[in-house]
Amino acid sequence: MDVAQIISVKIKKKKKKNSWLATGICFLMAFIICLPLLMIPGGAFMDPAEIRQMLSPVLGAGNGYAIWHFIPIYPTIEHFYRLLIGSPAFYKLFWNTVGMTGAILAGQLIVGLPSAWAFAAFKFRGRDFLFGLYVVLMLLPFQVMLLPQYIVLQKLDLYSNPAAVILPAVFSTFPVFIMYRGFTQIDLEVLEAARLDGAGELQIFLYVGLPLGQMGTRAAMVLSFLEYWNLVEQPMAFLEEQKDWPLSLYLPQLDISQAGFAFAVSVVVLIPALFVFALGQDALEEGITYIGTKK
Amino acid sequence: MKGKWRFRWMNRRLLFLLPGFAGVMVFYLLPFLEVVRRSFLRSGNRAFVGMDNYNAVFHNAAFVLAVRNTAVYMAVGVPLLMVISLLLAMLLRNLTTKRKFVSAMLLPMAVPAAVMVLVLRILIDRQGAVNGMLAGITEHFASLPVFEGIDYLNSGWAIVIVLCSFLWKNTGYMVILWLAGLSALPKEVEEAARVDGANKWQNWHYIIRPGLSGTTFTIGMLSVLQIFKSYREVWMVAGSYPQENIYFLQHLLQNWYLKLEFDRMAALTVLLSLVLLVVCLCLQKRLEQNGG
Repeated sequence: MDVAQIISVKIKKKKKKNSWLATGICFLMAFIICLPLLMIPGGAFMDPAEIRQMLSPVLGAGNGYAIWHFIPIYPTIEHFYRLLIGSPAFYKLFWNTVGMTGAILAGQLIVGLPSAWAFAAFKFRGRDFLFGLYVVLMLLPFQVMLLPQYIVLQKLDLYSNPAAVILPAVFSTFPVFIMYRGFTQIDLEVLEAARLDGAGELQIFLYVGLPLGQMGTRAAMVLSFLEYWNLVEQPMAFLEEQKDWPLSLYLPQLDISQAGFAFAVSVVVLIPALFVFALGQDALEEGITYIGTKK
Repeated sequence: MKGKWRFRWMNRRLLFLLPGFAGVMVFYLLPFLEVVRRSFLRSGNRAFVGMDNYNAVFHNAAFVLAVRNTAVYMAVGVPLLMVISLLLAMLLRNLTTKRKFVSAMLLPMAVPAAVMVLVLRILIDRQGAVNGMLAGITEHFASLPVFEGIDYLNSGWAIVIVLCSFLWKNTGYMVILWLAGLSALPKEVEEAARVDGANKWQNWHYIIRPGLSGTTFTIGMLSVLQIFKSYREVWMVAGSYPQENIYFLQHLLQNWYLKLEFDRMAALTVLLSLVLLVVCLCLQKRLEQNGG
């Protein structure tokens, strides 16, 4: 047995000994984090009478405390029926959300990718300053940008137009930051080689940059989707007419007395988000990895 | 001739940046400069009023309250999030089941704020499920005093609830980031140190901690970003005028916006951006000094 083997055996032993406690703690944390989410599917299929009975203390109609059945005793699809068949307004709002999110993501790709590429691949005067500016802009909370954006939207006559929500989001600097971090994983030598072979800058961007930096791009898209699928403050501030609202503003209007119905809406809102999440999780994890590690 | 050629070449490269930058100018920078200008004017007749708007902000009681609350929230929330997620990442990093746990912890990211708020209200209402559980526990032990039920959102507990929901939503995100930073550390150094008899504490203090300084900066920045975003849940669960411990600067800005008090709002906008800018610059400088 050589030294390396001895060492590796030693290390393996150590790992095994630790893992029970660590697994237990991690399992507990993951369980606590997921527990509230387990309430949602149950609630969506629960009979209204059952919900009323469980939640009557919260609704102000009884003593004692609210309880919750994770598995409904009287399951029903009533809420989904009411939502999907009985409320045409739901579809309007649903497609508003889809349209808004789609437009924002498409815009971020078209505008953000070349910007991120410029920061990652080129050295130009003022690059560091400009990038610093992008980072500060990315950190500003929406409420700080509320007045500036209100002013510009008024000037451009976009107030209360869906573009009032879409355009500022398209030029958001956060996706640029993430895409940039994805692009910085590419070796600059590869680009130099491509240049020496006579590739144009556009060709390098399209055929070298985009494929090699795609994990960062996909991570940015997943993060953006999760963000804009649940947009609340922007449409509240800039969209006056309810017909333009996204679904995320419809949900808060539902009173807790309609909890079952609200849970059904939640499930419908949650499904696309989970779908994107499942599809993009690899990219998300790897993309976030790029953010975390400085190269 | 050569200079001209290089100039044109530069220009072509900057074309990549131009569309995005034009948009950033139109929707972020120029309106921001306009707000800076307006912060010195009175909105009605556009008369120059010097620092009046700033003075009005500083002498506003709600402003003082909001600054204090926001500072406390951030000073507790950001380090707490970073430490908890780092501890979890340290535990997770040698597990083979790492991925499953990480997926489970990331799940809250996908949950719409409104859904979370609904669940939260059922749990933490004065007659909600959490109080129900606490009451159940106290009943079992006769020696404990009778449980009265805590009205979480209308008492000092409000900030605790807000912190918990912030941690709940963002721990997974930060765990991934820490795991990324940890995986970038060279394994050989640690193994060598272990063979040489370094204990866990030494391993952490001399090898892992210094190696994570760059990651720490990024995670700190993103934690700040997320803590600003958590306003959404706070507002949705507690409204525009919540319990006074959770009245943040964002409430103030939003309420002034709704009341069309643009003078003071402009001044506050400028002040907050300045604070953020200074913090960013300081952090960056410190990072560069550390060589991260």
